[in-house]
Amino acid sequence: MGKPILKAMGVNKNFGPTRALVDVDFLLRSGEIHGLIGENGSGKSTFSSIVAGAQTCDSGRFELNGQDYMPQNMVDAQNKGIGMIVQEQGTIGNISVASNVFTGRLHEFTKYGFINMKDVTKRAQEILNDIGAGDIDAASMTASLNFEDRKIVEIARVMVADPNVLIIDETTTALAMKGREILFNLIERFKSDNKGVIFISHDLDELMNVCNKVTILRDGHIIDTLEGGDITEDNMRRLMVGRELSKHYFRSDFECTYDDTVVLDAKQITFGPVTNVDLQLHKGEILGVCGLSDCGMHELGKVLFGIEKSITGSVTLPERGVDIKDPYSSVKQDMAYLSKDRDRESIILSASIMENIVLPSLSTMSKIFGLISNKSEKSFTEEQIDILGIKCREPKQRLTELSGGNKQKVAFSKWLGRNSNILILDCPTRGIDVGVKAAIYRLLEDMKANGKAIVLISEELPEMIGMCDRMLVMKDGEITAEFKRSPELSEADIIKYMIGSVNNNANTSASSN
Amino acid sequence: MLTQAQAAIDVNELLLKKARRKDIFMLVFPFVGLIFTIIIMTFATRGLFLSNENIVNIMNQSFTTALVAIGAAFVYAQGGMDFSLGAACGVAQMVFIGSYTHFGLPVWVGAVGAILVAVTATMIVGFGSYILHLQPFVVSLCVRSACTGILVAGCNALGRNILVPMDIYGFLNNNTLKVTVLLLVLLIGWFLFEKTRVGKEEKAIGGNILTAVQSGVRSGRTVVTAHLILGLCVGIAACFQMARAGTVSTQSGSGLEFNIMIALALGGFPMAGGSSAKIRSVIVGVLIITSLTNGLTLAGVDNSYINMIKGLLFIVIVAISYDRSNLKQVVFM
Repeated sequence: MGKPILKAMGVNKNFGPTRALVDVDFLLRSGEIHGLIGENGSGKSTFSSIVAGAQTCDSGRFELNGQDYMPQNMVDAQNKGIGMIVQEQGTIGNISVASNVFTGRLHEFTKYGFINMKDVTKRAQEILNDIGAGDIDAASMTASLNFEDRKIVEIARVMVADPNVLIIDETTTALAMKGREILFNLIERFKSDNKGVIFISHDLDELMNVCNKVTILRDGHIIDTLEGGDITEDNMRRLMVGRELSKHYFRSDFECTYDDTVVLDAKQITFGPVTNVDLQLHKGEILGVCGLSDCGMHELGKVLFGIEKSITGSVTLPERGVDIKDPYSSVKQDMAYLSKDRDRESIILSASIMENIVLPSLSTMSKIFGLISNKSEKSFTEEQIDILGIKCREPKQRLTELSGGNKQKVAFSKWLGRNSNILILDCPTRGIDVGVKAAIYRLLEDMKANGKAIVLISEELPEMIGMCDRMLVMKDGEITAEFKRSPELSEADIIKYMIGSVNNNANTSASSN
Repeated sequence: MLTQAQAAIDVNELLLKKARRKDIFMLVFPFVGLIFTIIIMTFATRGLFLSNENIVNIMNQSFTTALVAIGAAFVYAQGGMDFSLGAACGVAQMVFIGSYTHFGLPVWVGAVGAILVAVTATMIVGFGSYILHLQPFVVSLCVRSACTGILVAGCNALGRNILVPMDIYGFLNNNTLKVTVLLLVLLIGWFLFEKTRVGKEEKAIGGNILTAVQSGVRSGRTVVTAHLILGLCVGIAACFQMARAGTVSTQSGSGLEFNIMIALALGGFPMAGGSSAKIRSVIVGVLIITSLTNGLTLAGVDNSYINMIKGLLFIVIVAISYDRSNLKQVVFM
């Protein structure tokens, strides 16, 4: 067993009333590839970002190589030997690859107040060569690289400081074969150099192959740490969820069932990364749209609801004979939209549950002289609170006081109360716990049974396979495949079309910026 | 596990308690401030402040501010700010007097003209910010500049300080009429603001414009409506203000926008708008700012010091009341 490198003791972190981390103890030894898993919102990204200096903890202590460690910021953490590769795109497009590799360190190349770019490019190329990405030219413009290569540039940037501990936060989902190979070689090198790696991933297969230890987080608590032969998919899943997964988590039927009536017809949608997408939604259908985060599915959802306008084509509701122009007309036609970015777009945090839930229904609630009585608002809200079981003290409670799952329930209630018929749901289960997730799945099933039509946009494939009648896979703004509901459908089938070959997604990242 | 869960509940309770304490504080604070101001001013003026004549005086002084503040509440509730209203009020007064002294038009025509002028000014702010996608505040500064120019040019043309002929306009100083008008505007304002879609959508926009739009609120229409209401209030206030002042000059209406802003802040009206905006705050705030100005003047404090005190007070109030957890800044630009 290697000697301890990084040690966390009693780390706590709160976001408002939400407890992201509760008394977390964690130990990373040298030569260890330590997996960190948990549901969304379990605290794994919070933990890693504290270690990497992107956030500070509220209480608790860290030790790095036996010395007290409390990074002030990310540069401080890097200088002390902690490097982190994150999920999101973190390179700047309109500067050179070399400048990106040495972001924040260019002063090291300064002579008489001028930066010696030749040196920067040379050093950057050395680092790229070293990690096995010699095909990337350090002098080239970053925007000219594709998404994956830009990710590799980020890996190079982390390696500049020659870290002792490498944190990989859900990076592999964005990488195809080449990127993965580079990353896994790097991991191997850390292992043989007796350094440590913290590896965060949702991919249980990958974790089993790479890690020699896996720690499971749930709701901010450390649940268990598995070693060697105990690292099995079953064990991990069971510990993540906290109980045996009931068979009825997703839909129990495996038939693709929906009415033939088309309720929403989108033709030739072009907006942002989305190019020329056609889509038809039927009565009683759950239509999935999946892909990587920047494939254009989120933008597509916004166009369907009229928040963004398509450059060509149209979104029509054939049954009603109307075109969707703006959110106002969509709401009027009983459509609903749930944004991926809940706190920023779906709800008014500073307002009460009541104010949030009645907002889309105000026009239908107005009585004589436009009067909306407190009583009618309250009974309307209480009914919704009952239906979804929103945990709260009273309808007038502010949303800032609610947990993520309950906030999401409020966002749903807005549209349930409005009696919406066509729902565009962008990642409705993102960042909420399993219990609320299950409740949302039941709700979707009910709505489907009642003849409502749902577009479910999601990055989570199990959810897609578990819930949808049809699935559209998107890549680079285009639909690359369509799957019908079937018990044989596997994640691997879908992923193929999400990522595809590296060669033909050149310039993706450039165009999506 | 049990102790951990217990700890979690404790911390949650603590954070909730803190939030609730702040809510209660924000609810009570303006009222305490009002009572405090009255007591201080009574002592500072040796009781003069609470004399019958002065109370009538305070009521009269608060009239214009109150009328305009009720209209301004709609703009502030959606996180906007209109700094043109003082200058617009000045131009409206000029139109009101000029229509009679210069053109010999009947009083009611002048009144309608004054209101139309005020509405035009605020509507330019509303439409301008909507069409140009600018903060209403920025557009209002431009309109303010234009209105000030019109007022100066107009006053020069009509003869500098224009005296108001009281035989014609004197009826506007009738206290019964003023109280009736104020109560009517207050009632309608309160109803629209608290009980109808208009006010609720203004507040939703102030709370989170993205959410409001995605919930089917037409942001452009809502912004313009708020400025329309403000314009009506400014126009009505201008008519009465002119009769009270007895004269129209290049200084008419100046400083009104600051008084409104400070009144709203003192009353606990959130400067960034949103759901905690209440008409109640408007009334309390107007009473505080009027009492303060009146009391300090009675106590013999120079006018320039009074403005300094108001400015400092505004900063202090905003610093205390500004909700930092909202991650939203009071946007002035």
